[in-house]
Amino acid sequence: MEYDENGVSIVPFEFKKEIFEEAKKDFRYEEYVRGCLNCGVCTGGCPPHRFFDFSPRIVLQKMKSKDPELIWTMMDEYVWACFQCFTCAMICPFLNSPGGIIAILREIAVRRGFESAKKVLKPYSRVLLKLTAYGNQLSPDMIQPDFFPDWGPHIGYASTDLAVKRKAIPMPTLQVTNLAWDVAPETMKELYDIFDEAGVFKIIEAVDPSLYEIIQDIVDDVRSS
Amino acid sequence: MAENILVIGGGPAGLNAATMLSELGVKVTLAERDLFLGGNPKKFKYKFLFPDMQPADNVVGELIKKAETSSNIKVYLSSEISDFKENGKKFDAQIKSPDGNEIKTFDSVIVATGFEHFDPARDAKYSYQLFDDVIDIKDLERMMGEGNFARPSNGQPPKNVAFILCVGSRDRHVGNQYCSRVCCTVSVKQAIELREHFPDCEVYIFYMDIRTYGFFEDLYWQAMEEHDVQIVKGRVAEITSGPDNTVICKGEDTLLRGPFEIPFDMVVLASGMEGGPQSSEMAKKLGLELDEHGFLKPQNVTLALFKSNKEGIFLAGACTGPKAISDSIIEGGAAAMNAYIYAVRNH
Repeated sequence: MEYDENGVSIVPFEFKKEIFEEAKKDFRYEEYVRGCLNCGVCTGGCPPHRFFDFSPRIVLQKMKSKDPELIWTMMDEYVWACFQCFTCAMICPFLNSPGGIIAILREIAVRRGFESAKKVLKPYSRVLLKLTAYGNQLSPDMIQPDFFPDWGPHIGYASTDLAVKRKAIPMPTLQVTNLAWDVAPETMKELYDIFDEAGVFKIIEAVDPSLYEIIQDIVDDVRSS
Repeated sequence: MAENILVIGGGPAGLNAATMLSELGVKVTLAERDLFLGGNPKKFKYKFLFPDMQPADNVVGELIKKAETSSNIKVYLSSEISDFKENGKKFDAQIKSPDGNEIKTFDSVIVATGFEHFDPARDAKYSYQLFDDVIDIKDLERMMGEGNFARPSNGQPPKNVAFILCVGSRDRHVGNQYCSRVCCTVSVKQAIELREHFPDCEVYIFYMDIRTYGFFEDLYWQAMEEHDVQIVKGRVAEITSGPDNTVICKGEDTLLRGPFEIPFDMVVLASGMEGGPQSSEMAKKLGLELDEHGFLKPQNVTLALFKSNKEGIFLAGACTGPKAISDSIIEGGAAAMNAYIYAVRNH
């Protein structure tokens, strides 16, 4: 990576063009990008637009400009401001999908391990670990008296004697407290095959190499058992 | 013996077609589904017509008077074409009315079945029928026609009013991709009327394009320059209830303000035109073609807008697409001329 005198990285135009070409090649691109009259109904209905400098109308307009420079300006923090609620797609008179374009751009950012993707995904390391290694991520032992006040006044009681309470549920796969449910090794192996085929592990390796190593250790253990 | 021509629909196009044919000495049968002649302008009590604000009653009243006083025109109110058959180059039609069924043979037929106002309740984001103070241009026109210029919720004069353009038009979600042509001019006209009636009332128009085509542009400029109507580029994304019995329009002002949420006393939706169930009904009964927009399909949109795909059956007015009353009247004349030529040749 090249840097200018202020330490800001210089991204060559050819690279920006490559990113745009990658987005355009996506099988969803033609369906998501249609005509646009700048009516602004998408931005008017956009929840994050109330809080951030984010506008689905701008997303679509930049995409329609086919200008790699303009599209590149969204690849850093901009694409991560979207809530992915798809209100824009629900109300666009042309049936454009700015939310869908964001999904395409995010996937590129993640696949290529862009800094913005790494930063945004960092707080989700635990979720990624649990989901990819064990197939589920919310577990009973996460319930703590002080953790979820919005869950109501009985949260203190709910957090005690977890194992006993779980035993009361007559489902063999729910007799665990460190997982939402116990996933059979066969199921886990199938899950890993799917992740392999779909490139999920490769993506994790790109955005978080150390997390990838931890997950691979677990995967190897399960696969060799 | 004189020629017999059937005119289906007693709105501006059908009335003018019938009148012109009667003046040529043709025996005209005018079949109207409603209890009265005059079509939508009469049904929804249009008050003043753009661009010169002449009373709608004068225009439509004139057409009705001519049709009703002509000895060559037989009018069937509350009627329908219950059976229709080709008979060589002629047509056998059964007209069902409160007076019974009558089968007649016609030399040619003019279809002038008009349009339906788009029902804004079909687009949930506008909360039409949810809030009393959200109405549409036909409701406002009727209110003005009845001399009832007030907020529906409390009968008070409004302090600010928003017009929202392209409701039910140019929107793939409601299935209408076309522009309804007249709603921009109607909205601008009504905005001016509101400002004249309530000088203290602020009037906003939210648009994605303003299509006051031709000389109607004069009204648009007048609205801005003489009546201080606020013209804002941005489609409203949502209408919700606000404080003090207001309705909030939420959207993006794409040129100036960015996001906005403005409480209004009244919102007027510029709902567009649709071919309505009568278009497909006519298509089925008479063997006509429908276009992809749900209107009747002319043989040639440039050369022969008034001809259908069937020899001897002609089209006039808004049944072939959204248009102004003046255009419908002109097409009534054009269809009459063509129906007459066909009738004389095959009589």
